[in-house]
Amino acid sequence: MHTTMTSLLAADTPTVMTPTTSHLTIEAVTKRFGSFTALDGISLTINEGEFVCFLGPSGCGKTTLLRTIAGLAQQTAGTLIQRGEDISSLPPQARDFGIVFQSYALFPNLTVFNNVAYGLRNRRVERSHIHARVNELLALVNLTGSEKKYPAALSGGQQQRVALARALATEPGLLLLDEPLSALDARVRGHLRSQIKALQARLGVTTIMVTHDQEEALTMADRIVVMNHGVIEQVGTPAEIYHQPASAFVASFIGSMNFLEVTAQGDNQALLGTTSCACLSHTLKVGQAAQLAIRPETVALSRQAGALNGEVIGIEFLGPFQRVTLRLTDADQTLIADVPSRDSTDLCLYQGQVLGIHLPAEAARLYPAGSSQQ
Amino acid sequence: MMAESFVKSATKPSLESLIRLLALLAGVALLVVGLLFPLLTMLIKSLQDRAGDFIGLANFAHYFQTPTLVNSIANSLRVALMTTGVVVGLAFLCAYGITRTCMPGKRLFRMLAILPILAPSLLPAISLVYLFGNQGFLRDLLAGQSVYGPIGIVMGMSFWIFPHALMLLTTALTNSDARLYEAADALGTPKWRTFLTITLPGVRYGLISCLFVVFTLAITDFGVPKIIGGQFSVLATDVYRQVVGQQNFQMGAVVSVILLLPAVLSFIVDRWIQRRQVAQLSARAVPWQPSPSPLRDWIFTLLCYTVAGVILLVIGTAVYASLIQFWPYNLSFTLEHYTFQGMADGGWGAWFNSLKLAFSVALVGTLVIFFNAWLIEKSEGYRPLRQGLHFMAMLPMAVPGMVLGLAYIFFFNQAGNPLNWLYSTMVILVLNTLVHFYTVCHLTSVTALKQLDPEFEAVGASLKVPFWTTFSRITLPVSLPAVLDISVYLFVNAMTTVSAVVFLYNSDTRLASVAVLHLDEAGYFASAAAMAVLIFLTSLVVKLLHAVLTHVLLNNAQRWRLVS
Repeated sequence: MHTTMTSLLAADTPTVMTPTTSHLTIEAVTKRFGSFTALDGISLTINEGEFVCFLGPSGCGKTTLLRTIAGLAQQTAGTLIQRGEDISSLPPQARDFGIVFQSYALFPNLTVFNNVAYGLRNRRVERSHIHARVNELLALVNLTGSEKKYPAALSGGQQQRVALARALATEPGLLLLDEPLSALDARVRGHLRSQIKALQARLGVTTIMVTHDQEEALTMADRIVVMNHGVIEQVGTPAEIYHQPASAFVASFIGSMNFLEVTAQGDNQALLGTTSCACLSHTLKVGQAAQLAIRPETVALSRQAGALNGEVIGIEFLGPFQRVTLRLTDADQTLIADVPSRDSTDLCLYQGQVLGIHLPAEAARLYPAGSSQQ
Repeated sequence: MMAESFVKSATKPSLESLIRLLALLAGVALLVVGLLFPLLTMLIKSLQDRAGDFIGLANFAHYFQTPTLVNSIANSLRVALMTTGVVVGLAFLCAYGITRTCMPGKRLFRMLAILPILAPSLLPAISLVYLFGNQGFLRDLLAGQSVYGPIGIVMGMSFWIFPHALMLLTTALTNSDARLYEAADALGTPKWRTFLTITLPGVRYGLISCLFVVFTLAITDFGVPKIIGGQFSVLATDVYRQVVGQQNFQMGAVVSVILLLPAVLSFIVDRWIQRRQVAQLSARAVPWQPSPSPLRDWIFTLLCYTVAGVILLVIGTAVYASLIQFWPYNLSFTLEHYTFQGMADGGWGAWFNSLKLAFSVALVGTLVIFFNAWLIEKSEGYRPLRQGLHFMAMLPMAVPGMVLGLAYIFFFNQAGNPLNWLYSTMVILVLNTLVHFYTVCHLTSVTALKQLDPEFEAVGASLKVPFWTTFSRITLPVSLPAVLDISVYLFVNAMTTVSAVVFLYNSDTRLASVAVLHLDEAGYFASAAAMAVLIFLTSLVVKLLHAVLTHVLLNNAQRWRLVS
């Protein structure tokens, strides 16, 4: 085990994995607590070496799914297959994973060294090997020299890295991270985010991270699994999730989004008030009530009146851009547009100003009215 | 497909979960045999006649037609209510002094105030006889009233229950939120109104809980009324008299059932209050710090040290009585009473038995209770078993010692009980004492375990470390202060208890506390005092060792605690 690790560390390039090899297959997993359904028929495949984020609001079932994968919670129905082996009914001890909890759960009475060595001690590994391995791991997380410290003497970020080293010590095939950064302050969080991501890429260990922080998910994940009310709303790369949200919920949960009440028209048209707008093609019936979703940064404003106009009712200065709130002139609806600071000078923004609004068709998506929002 | 995957996902028993299950079953079996079966047997006995035939409520009817017996109910209620008033009133004032004033010598006072817990409840009763009895040097203070009766009982009980109340109320009064007091000051609220609208409501749950704990201790106490009650009988002494004096086991069972009622009632009320008390104080609360106020501080100093003085007087009297030839005629110094000539088999044997019992209970009890609490708190699955174990662990608090002791006679002395061999061995004394004091230890364990990170076990499992390794390397060391507290609590209680074991010893296993009772009954008052003092000193030494050990551990083996 020692040599494997060293060779992995020596490699400068990320270990190349065939993207199609499945590490973990989740089939129709359901978990009920009494009458409450925490997970409702979840099916998902996670590939070897992939970094996957479970993202969703609190109570969406993401932590339950992680605990089910770890065997810490037993699913009511469904199957889990890890590297071809059915692990559905195995206790956590018999599964192959390492885990980092939100609280880190470092053993307070053990030194950093002994915390990291905790899982190695049990394996009848030679003492010198344990020593070498722990030192290697501490070097990996930049904590060389802290061997003899107790967890209470470490900062939050350091504790987090010890927990990571401890979870990696036994070379698990799967690394589970349960909101690992949420207990840290913003500055440390940003730094650790890239550190963890780099480490994961270097070791090539398949990783699942649970988070409610969309920025964390967007920056770290290879793929994001957006969950809500115990079901998967969408699985996709960060760009897919952001630019092609599969449902109104995903659209509203990631980034900021305008939702305008419209009536569906032909296959790429919608009626906003009395104005017809072009949008991406949709499958809604003509005349069906719908909502048109468009991101504020894609809305274009101009001083020339157009087909769609709005009155400026609020301007917020946010540094790189200004957030302009408009009331549409021919519909009692508001719209937010993010105007880059560079452009805002051309517009000479002021309250009460009436501006022409352009909603680019390729950025406007139609969802059925009343479909779930955050 | 659905049905198939459901079947597949049913947990296969692994070795670890099998061991967990066995341990849980063992824990449940312990309390079923050590608590439920004896209590059930006793309830059945109360419905049977001497021949063992079912006679319904005839025993109860007979009880309520016998005025001498029924009177005890009123007597018990009277002394228990009076004791509750005295103890809670005094303890509240002293706890207020400790937490809300700048009186000097708080630590010393708290140390002195804890002393009565280290003595058997027989000790204050013996001292009170020397102080206020027919030859007592303070008897004039009673203005002609006799100490043998309700007055003596209330005084004696107040002495040994006081520390319990003080600890509860100190805890309640410690939880204060300075922001509320600052707001009240800013609004120009007078001090008395701040007290009524902030302080009292803040401690109301602790106060009510304390009232019920004190009431239960008072109504179920046996030692004090036995020694100083005279002709004034209470429920606890009735049980003893019916069983030991008259060999009327059925009536003993009836009185026990009646004695069980107030204890069970106050137990239910206490549980109900505890449930409502959750998170009364928010995590953002700022602890209130008293600022000096000379008049108030000196009044409370005077009050607290008067109480401490009385405690020292009572203990000192027992020590003095045990060291003089013959009160009040020959006051010369002697150690003769420590030879316990009043006892046929020698008193030191009884003391040694007590020591054996106390060490066994402290060792076995601590491990069993803490491990059971761990099984309840920190394992997954077997929910009904875990809840059942928790319920049974809470129950002993509601069972008076006299009732538990008698229930053990009924259950273990039955012909045909395969556990009959336990009867009149040291083992039954250990089991009985362990069960008798189970609840407080269980609650201490649960509190300590709840403070641990809930994911320790999950981390251990993910690192493929068996649960017993994580238990012994992490859980136990991290909870060590609580574990030591439990063991010293069990030791002291095993040393001082008399109520349950008075039914269960035999000539080989006679205990020091029972010896105090027998010496007193036989008229060897000075020897009885000597034995009570011996018990007190033993507890004191162990308590001091515990303090030293805790200190050493915190500074060496548990250095990690000091880092933060």
